[in-house]
Amino acid sequence: MENNYKKLTEEIRGFAFELLKDGKVDRVIGYGKEEYSGEVTPLFITAPDESNRLIFNSECSMLLAKYLLNYRESRVAIVAKPCDTRAIASYLAENLLKRENLVIIGINGCPGITGNTACIECTVRNPVIFDFTAGEAIDKAELSPRVANELEEMTAAERLAYFQEEFSRCIRCYACREACYVCYCEECFTDSNQPFWVGGSVKLKDNFTFHLMRSMHMAGRCINCGACEMACPEGIDVRALPAKLTRVARELYNYEAGMDPEQKTLLTDYDVNDPQPGFLD
Amino acid sequence: MNQADTKQIDTFEPKILAFLCNWCSYAAADLAGSSRIQYPPNIRVIRVPCSGRIDPLLIIKAFNSGADGVLVSGCHPGDCHYTDGNMYARRRFVMLKELLTFAGVEEERVNFTWCSASEGKRFAGIVREVVDRVKKVGPWKGFAGPAGQGFLEREGELAGGK
Repeated sequence: MENNYKKLTEEIRGFAFELLKDGKVDRVIGYGKEEYSGEVTPLFITAPDESNRLIFNSECSMLLAKYLLNYRESRVAIVAKPCDTRAIASYLAENLLKRENLVIIGINGCPGITGNTACIECTVRNPVIFDFTAGEAIDKAELSPRVANELEEMTAAERLAYFQEEFSRCIRCYACREACYVCYCEECFTDSNQPFWVGGSVKLKDNFTFHLMRSMHMAGRCINCGACEMACPEGIDVRALPAKLTRVARELYNYEAGMDPEQKTLLTDYDVNDPQPGFLD
Repeated sequence: MNQADTKQIDTFEPKILAFLCNWCSYAAADLAGSSRIQYPPNIRVIRVPCSGRIDPLLIIKAFNSGADGVLVSGCHPGDCHYTDGNMYARRRFVMLKELLTFAGVEEERVNFTWCSASEGKRFAGIVREVVDRVKKVGPWKGFAGPAGQGFLEREGELAGGK
């Protein structure tokens, strides 16, 4: 079963038109074509006749959920891929958004995004929360997400060498941070000089530290959407570290981020009988 | 292993950063001292109000700054002075340790334990164990350093390069 992009686009346009015409929302956030280059870009529309500018295709890689934080006080409809809905569920769990201000147009049976390596690991494919859906839902039983990772097979020294090679290319543009739905802090630790966490130069040691710290901030919150990797201009495997923590959370605590607007985040919760592997006794 | 390497390991005294919670582990260290229990002088103690106070970023920063190892100790689960600070800390540390070992930091350098105020003798034993573990894996070369070079030389070399 494959969803047709043309049909998805038409359905999205229909929902957007109705919502704007009836005045149910002030704004629709979706994907559109950039006027001159024709590239896919986030699109914000406020009038019903603009709704035919909305599109959905395999190039719609950006995570739109993050834009919702800019419109907290107005009523917004959003075109949401399954990963976007997980991000929205996390925001709701963290009390950052009001559910009553949101209209979520979910993409059912998301066919995946071209060039995004996270999509083959996707365990969802259908929106976790929605008001309307476009397309046909995928049967969970049909899914066979890849869970194995070749990095797990390597020795520690090989992995260190791998990450050194990857992070040595980092130019500290912070595109991964800007793309990530988790990174909404008003002041990032990288910009803080009191306390001073990590140097801003592109020395390997600072790059490595930056990526470790970034990943640690995403522990138990990363939804493994691949937006960071798609955003990276150097093609660095920036998703490897947070994705590892996602697997650890799944194995040790049976925890998946962003599956339920009511759930607590992994690190703001505990269980008295939590495992403690690697602790000295 | 050549002679120089053997010599380096024989004389290698690791610098280990110890984050101790004020109410249990710091008191345990104090008790070890006042009971005159000997333990290696390789730890540099930072007293924190609770193990829940320890931001995992502090530990990453310690490695960035060249610490050979880290020891974190708090009250036993259930005994926290602030009821459940160490419970939150436990999840954080498990995640941090998985992250660091996945990124290639040796497992022996990242040490977590619980130690109550009456366990002075045990605290000394923990420190001995941690020092042995870190000595076994040798000096920390930094996130930028491959085997065979000291932390500072490697940094200096890279400063002009990439």
